[in-house]
Amino acid sequence: MKLLSLIVVCLTGGLLLYGTADLPDWGDPNAPASLHLSNYYIENAVRDTQVPNLVTAVLADYRSVDTMFETAVVFCAGLACFLLLRDFTPKKDHYYRHVPTGVILHVKNPDRQVIVGNEFEDIDKEWLPPDTIIKTVCRMLIPFIQIYALYVVAHGDFSPGGGFQGGVIFGSSLILLAISYNLKYLLKRVSEKFLGILSAAGVLVYMGIGVVAMVLGGNFLDYEKYAPIFGEHHIRALGMLGVEIGVGMAVTAVMVIIYINIVSEGKHDEGL
Amino acid sequence: MIHYPAVVVIASLLGAFIAGILAWVQERYTYPAALIATGISCAAAVWDLIYVAGHGPIAYHMAGWAPPMGIEYRIDTLNAMVLVLITAIAFLNLAASWPNVKQEMPDRSPSFYVMYLLFVVGLTGVASTGDLFNLYVLIEITSLSSYTMIALGDRDRGPISALNYVFVGVIGASFYLLGVGYIYIKTGTLNMAEFAAMIPNIQDSTTILTAFILCIVGVFIKMALFPLHVWLPNAYSYAPVGFARIVAPLMTKVMVYVMVRLMITVFGLDYIFIKLHIADTIVWLGTIAILAGGVMALAQTNLKKMLAYIIVCEIGYMVGGAWLGNDSGITGAVLHILNDGIMTFALFLAVGNMVYKLDRVEIKDLKGLFAGMPWTMTGFVLAAFSIVGVPPTCGFFSKWYLILGAFEAGAWHFAAALLISSLICAVLFFKVFEVCFFESPDTHDGPGSDAHGHHTTVAIQEAPAISLAVLGIAGISLIVVGLYSKTIVVRLIWPLLNP
Repeated sequence: MKLLSLIVVCLTGGLLLYGTADLPDWGDPNAPASLHLSNYYIENAVRDTQVPNLVTAVLADYRSVDTMFETAVVFCAGLACFLLLRDFTPKKDHYYRHVPTGVILHVKNPDRQVIVGNEFEDIDKEWLPPDTIIKTVCRMLIPFIQIYALYVVAHGDFSPGGGFQGGVIFGSSLILLAISYNLKYLLKRVSEKFLGILSAAGVLVYMGIGVVAMVLGGNFLDYEKYAPIFGEHHIRALGMLGVEIGVGMAVTAVMVIIYINIVSEGKHDEGL
Repeated sequence: MIHYPAVVVIASLLGAFIAGILAWVQERYTYPAALIATGISCAAAVWDLIYVAGHGPIAYHMAGWAPPMGIEYRIDTLNAMVLVLITAIAFLNLAASWPNVKQEMPDRSPSFYVMYLLFVVGLTGVASTGDLFNLYVLIEITSLSSYTMIALGDRDRGPISALNYVFVGVIGASFYLLGVGYIYIKTGTLNMAEFAAMIPNIQDSTTILTAFILCIVGVFIKMALFPLHVWLPNAYSYAPVGFARIVAPLMTKVMVYVMVRLMITVFGLDYIFIKLHIADTIVWLGTIAILAGGVMALAQTNLKKMLAYIIVCEIGYMVGGAWLGNDSGITGAVLHILNDGIMTFALFLAVGNMVYKLDRVEIKDLKGLFAGMPWTMTGFVLAAFSIVGVPPTCGFFSKWYLILGAFEAGAWHFAAALLISSLICAVLFFKVFEVCFFESPDTHDGPGSDAHGHHTTVAIQEAPAISLAVLGIAGISLIVVGLYSKTIVVRLIWPLLNP
């Protein structure tokens, strides 16, 4: 079997090499790939879309449907993590920490819902007090990371960046919060329900922009048709900003969903 | 302006995200939302078909950019037909599987419906796009959602079969993507129609040959052609019923559609049959797939596994037929995409109903099922006749075209394989019928005891009415499609081959 795999691998490698025999030279300005479409984009993208970043123009306008489906793939990945890993079975042991005194109560197999007051904190067996240095540094860093993420999303059409990158940065700021404090601290601020809705709503914003363009009489995702509402000026750039925001929302939520489900094996208690 | 090509895909996608929000806000509205979304998709697909049959292909420019700058959705009679098949099965299956989903995954059914819609989006997108890279993105959505759904199935075996599927599926998709990369570097375009116009000038390029081989092998892996089929039987038999019923009839068939599209529209029949000399080899591969699938199906004791191997066998029909290199062969292959979709759907509907009542479908567990579930078994028998190829069910007609094509091409081995596999299928299904009809359920007192001594009357325990109604629709369409095969061939398939 190993020999067979080796033969298949060699054949595939040979095929790939055989295919390169006829390829245009590396960096050849006369290669078909740099003559056909690229020229059109380089010459016309700024005029067509009023966006200085050509990559964004291609991704979010000329081939915006691809990007929409890629966002749907991201959403699909988040949903897959939730569906496969999320464990709904109730926990047997509950631990509550009395915050003012630090006393920990252990409740075994409660036959009904335990209702604790405000001064109690729901914790896990492996609970450790958060480290002050880590906590403080992260608390100072996180707002800047988030501002930077918003900048990357908003500036996607002018400089490198966009919804995917900005979303990942924003998501990682939330993950940093979960690592420096604990998972429950994050989930108290950003609930699972909120994340679930945000991930779907993000892609829905993207699609909504497309569907409304259809209602306004254009093709799907044709931002030009928003001109009567928002004015002619930079209308395509505005449309791209809208879809980038949608992508950013979806990616942020999906990053966090994947993280919380993987580290805690779907139990949503402390994992790392 | 005609928006229906976009609506087919977008209605389901919009439905998926609205359902995704409803799953958190008002769980009970998720299912109706999914049903409405697939219903709209289905209506738009039917409209597409009617329009295309009358007026010729529709080109829809996404985002308002004409190809090759933008992405084009191009609907001709071939994809209109496949789209109607996909959306109709998606809609009907959603209606039929409501009780099964409730039974199998009570706590996560809302997310199940969201994933289901994403799967439908992927399939409809694959069947309507006219852009090579967009096709890859949509294959990705389809695969990702089907990996997840299969892992949700059988508690022990589901995840491991999904993992196998992931490994093989990712390799298949990467092959296709590599092929697209080679195409782009050689031509600078991703639009299918534009590439097709360029191909006569670059026929001799080794890059194009490599691209072709990579794309076709990728698609072969995805459709489970015989030596590459190992992921399929486990994946399909351990998937949850509500999903098995849609993935089994559609996933492989849509990949066959992609192959036919690559052959007819992208690389062109001239390039494939005149320039390259691989058609005979692939017809042989098809022949081997038919025989191997049939023989492996004979060895199965589980009904679901048996049906999964029959799918492997049917893939051989379509691949072989498409590569025979004459009109009858390719007509048979395309007609068989439609027919096999309906047949497999009907079979899996019936099996799903059995699973709903019996939980296990080892063939020996099915004793006395004709008495217990008469309607389900009627549907099952009808679908089985169609697989075997008994007229007037639709399976007969596509097999007829395939055999005609084999004779025209002088591919006697393929014709022989078709006939042998019909016999094998007959044996397979009569084996099942025998158990279901003649053996009564209470005779497990060991050998020697007279099975016919005490015939107890079996109470009728049928599946829910909605599942039966859908099975009825599938059964009737088996015959209706069979009776109208001539119209389908003349109106939908021939215009494609002789434009």
